[in-house]
Amino acid sequence: MTRWLLRRALQSVLTLAIALLLLFLVVHALPGDPLAREGDRALTPEQVEQLRRRYGLDRPLPGQLAAFVGGLVRGDLGTSIEYGRPVASLLAERLPATLLLGGTALLLNFSLGIWLGVRQAVRKDSREDRWLTTLSLAGYATPSFWLGLVLANLIGVRWHLLPPAGMRDPLGQAGLWPATTDVLRHLVLPALTLAIVSLAGTMRYQRTAMLEVLRVPYIVTARAKGLSEGRVVWRHAWRNAVFPVLTLFGLWLPILVSGSVFVEAVFAWPGLGSLAVAAVGNRDYPVLMGTSVLVAAVVVLGSLLSDLAYAALDPRVRHG
Amino acid sequence: MTVRSDGLKAVWRRPGGRAGAAFLGFLVLLAWLGPLALPDPFRQFDLVELADAPPSADHPFGTDQLSRDVLSRVVSGARISLAVAALTVALSVTLGAAVGLVAGYWGGAVDAVIMRLVDGALAVPRLFLLLLVLALSDRVPLAVLIILMGATGWFATSRLVRAEVLRLRTEAFVQAAEALGASRRRVIFRHLLVNAAGPLLVAATLGVGDVILLEAGLSFLGLGVQPPTPSWGGMIMDGRPVLESAPWVGIFPGVAITLTVLATNLVGDALRDVLDPRSA
Amino acid sequence: MARWTHRAWPVAALAAAATTATTPGLSAQRTRDPATAVIVTGGEPSLPVPTLMDGPLNNQGNTDIADQLFLHLAELGPTMMTAGDRAFVPALARSWTRRDSVTLVFELDPRATWHDGVPVTARDVVFTFERARNPAIAPTLAGVLRHITEVKAEGERQVVFRYDRPYGEQLYDAVFHVAPIPAHLLAALPPDSLARSPFARAPIGSGAYRWVRQVPGEFVELAANERFFLGAPAVRRVIFRVAKDADARLNLVLSGEADMMDNIPPPRDNVARVSAQPRVRIIPFPSPTVGYLLFNQRDPRDTTRPHPILSDLDVRRAIGLALDRRQMVRATFGTAGDVPFGPASAVMLWIRHGAMPVRPDVPRARKLLSGRGWSDHDGDGTLDRDGVPLALTLLTTNTSAVRFQLAQQAQEQLRQIGIRLAIDRRDFPLYNQERGAGRFDLDFASATLDPSPSGLTQSWTCEGPTNVARFCDPAVDSLLDLAQRTGDRAAETYQAVLRRIESDAPAVFMYAPSYLAIVDRRFGNVRIRPESLWLALREWTVTGKGSGRSSGR
Repeated sequence: MTRWLLRRALQSVLTLAIALLLLFLVVHALPGDPLAREGDRALTPEQVEQLRRRYGLDRPLPGQLAAFVGGLVRGDLGTSIEYGRPVASLLAERLPATLLLGGTALLLNFSLGIWLGVRQAVRKDSREDRWLTTLSLAGYATPSFWLGLVLANLIGVRWHLLPPAGMRDPLGQAGLWPATTDVLRHLVLPALTLAIVSLAGTMRYQRTAMLEVLRVPYIVTARAKGLSEGRVVWRHAWRNAVFPVLTLFGLWLPILVSGSVFVEAVFAWPGLGSLAVAAVGNRDYPVLMGTSVLVAAVVVLGSLLSDLAYAALDPRVRHG
Repeated sequence: MTVRSDGLKAVWRRPGGRAGAAFLGFLVLLAWLGPLALPDPFRQFDLVELADAPPSADHPFGTDQLSRDVLSRVVSGARISLAVAALTVALSVTLGAAVGLVAGYWGGAVDAVIMRLVDGALAVPRLFLLLLVLALSDRVPLAVLIILMGATGWFATSRLVRAEVLRLRTEAFVQAAEALGASRRRVIFRHLLVNAAGPLLVAATLGVGDVILLEAGLSFLGLGVQPPTPSWGGMIMDGRPVLESAPWVGIFPGVAITLTVLATNLVGDALRDVLDPRSA
Repeated sequence: MARWTHRAWPVAALAAAATTATTPGLSAQRTRDPATAVIVTGGEPSLPVPTLMDGPLNNQGNTDIADQLFLHLAELGPTMMTAGDRAFVPALARSWTRRDSVTLVFELDPRATWHDGVPVTARDVVFTFERARNPAIAPTLAGVLRHITEVKAEGERQVVFRYDRPYGEQLYDAVFHVAPIPAHLLAALPPDSLARSPFARAPIGSGAYRWVRQVPGEFVELAANERFFLGAPAVRRVIFRVAKDADARLNLVLSGEADMMDNIPPPRDNVARVSAQPRVRIIPFPSPTVGYLLFNQRDPRDTTRPHPILSDLDVRRAIGLALDRRQMVRATFGTAGDVPFGPASAVMLWIRHGAMPVRPDVPRARKLLSGRGWSDHDGDGTLDRDGVPLALTLLTTNTSAVRFQLAQQAQEQLRQIGIRLAIDRRDFPLYNQERGAGRFDLDFASATLDPSPSGLTQSWTCEGPTNVARFCDPAVDSLLDLAQRTGDRAAETYQAVLRRIESDAPAVFMYAPSYLAIVDRRFGNVRIRPESLWLALREWTVTGKGSGRSSGR
């Protein structure tokens, strides 16, 4: 077990290292000058040169790679061109908001997806089963930013039910309870948007896992003993079917992270996604690079945890 | 031959598969023939009088801010969006199949190196790779956009194909063919590739929907297909500022995206049920 | 029971969350303080410290905050005139006098203090300019301040500025670009560690508002400086709330979550949406932008030779006459835009002095063209001469929807008189590169200008560093030179410059937009400053009770 753990962890480190090298090569093999941006005052060539030196763009490629790796080791991801501050501290400021949004979306996704997936499995090939599949796929097929725009416009602006943007009301009252409900109110629309567009996958996995369990002999026996259908489904079958689905969270991380880029931008959610979108607009490449590095780390860590969780539940994996 | 037509029939027998396939067929026909019957999608009818005009007999989907016919643009957008998606997927599936075959067939160190690289590439979500490249590079022509999206989309496919190849190599008919001295080329193309085609086809079908969504997302950030070339993603963005006052400008391309991606997924699901029943 | 809990818990949880979240009374209906202003902005402040705001950091997010925290020596007057010494309004400096044509003396207001209570002294001003004029610390700022040769203190309250030459905007250079920062807190700090210091995270200034806190990515909170020597502001608390996305900003204002924003984003329909809100009003104010179709005077293939078509003044004039700019501006900006006279933005109305652009005249345009031998000999709808069609390419960037829309309109109007215009849209860096190398026929440029017209030398003099079209008229050069030397009477000279440029037709000056700010009606004495929108906030009043967000519909 320990050896398997160690090997899996080492593999993750290697994966991350390869991902980071890939990112570096992608950025630095490109032409184009990150300092040529619209909207600035006209800079003289000498001033541009000075700025290039300040951001280390004048060094040759190996030098920049050495600086990049050295920086990573020290936790230094460079300085944002737009903010003039260390990228690492910007990311640290924005990470909690993204984790809150992503975590809530994942929770919604799992609660709704598992519940609906089980319903589908129990009523396999019924009209409800087919409609739920189609509806969840329609959610998946809708661009997240489009769904977000429509929700913000209808629920936020037209009906005034929930705030259309932001994470908290700057005029909100102090205190734990008002502050929490304030954040919750702001959280509903973006989290719901993300959950809707990512629901289809969880539903399908839960449906498949459940169908398999329902075929297993002891379920057939339980039914034969005359237990109520609900008891059979939820007490006996579901418990065995749900854990493999839960361990899939590693699989949803890249989807959630990518989705949050658009959803955060639409709802002005102060997380990594908004930061990345602004960096695209400003061509602030240290920030884009730093965000990608962090995202890669989160994805690798997520898939490691996911594997560990799966292994903890299914001992065969460790020896396989 | 019979396997193939049986497969198609089986897809058609499923209600989801039938609806999806029928819609896609209709869409391809429309994209092909529609422009012949519709006004020029670039034509500005009247910038002052006819900008953002609501749907009418002359313009069934209304007009946009530049007084262009939204229906014409949705139809020619279908051409672009479908062509971009098809080419991108063709590229990524080819790359993925080639890499997966190589890794799976040769195995050993080749496999280990390739798969570690693929793992690394999969750790960075495709969107972020594209953001970095597109935001920092100069103007990207359509062909380059397609290549970039294709080149960042094959990692998962190569894993899929490799797994399939590893499985097939233990099967009796492949081992028999190798024992009988079939050439390497024959084993790869005749046995491995043909038998891995099922999951590959499923992945390709689902990939088309993903690329349409991806292009829309890139357009949202101003990095997708560049105007005036009409793509659905770009058209949603045209419609975004007038969402309130002229919703038709953005809603029709939005609905087109949702329906098309939905259709490809329904067909993909039906295909999976038929060709690859283990994962259904 | 067990069955119910298992099956329905996700629904129940969702319902509970939705109820708490949408229940009014928890936060939506509380009374709000009418003296608190929530401004929603696209620019997030990162280092709102005047001497650090250099290059890319000289952005709206930083200037909006810095201008509330740090008082300038003097501010521009209502005319926005930048030349001379008389049009300015005293701020940190109570008065100024001139010793000679290259020496200016400021007398600081003795009542001025920093937010920590320490008085503002001449030493602070000297310290600030030492930092700002150092190219190693602030390369861009140092370039802007290059004519200032010396800043020195004479006693506690007097600061002497010395210049390398006599010119009209000496006072402007001393007061506009940088506001004083506190030497008593910063002198001990090495210049390059200032950006990471606690001071940079909670700056202490001398302005009408003091720093309270920042929640990264969300907002900055400022509070009125009760001891502000020009009078404590009536708006007692200001929140700058960040939303990068223009539609998200508009949504926040329309839903009542914010009181004001800088500009209604396009399209024009949004103006109607805002107008339908009785709670807010729309305040137009001039923008510093001017857009123009620039004619290349040189052959794009070989810039040593004159342009084969556009070096002809009559052709350039004909293109100007063929375009109905007023109609185009109306279609694009509604009433929030104007046709400029020469390269003068709406902020520079003082130099325009009421001069009007020429009206469109298609028959005259045709006559000018046929007079130069351009007519449709081969009947293909495009004019030609000696077998060469009158076909031109317009270069523009894909970042501007407005310019693209106008370019398409121009394309159609020119087609009607037989000029074929192709539009070449480029990504910004490449656009910039092509433009800089002179590889274009027409360039649809948009310039965002300083309030000062002295920047006109950059693009409109023979040796101007950004004169990519190689436009050269020695008369313009000498007129501009004269205007720059002129102080309080510079307006007339600048107008002569504009008239001369208009008659040379180096470009068709297309649009000078106004911005449309949105402000809640409970604020009175509202003035929006073009050079820094919320600069006059300290003089606003708060009338009546807050309209509250529950009545925001």
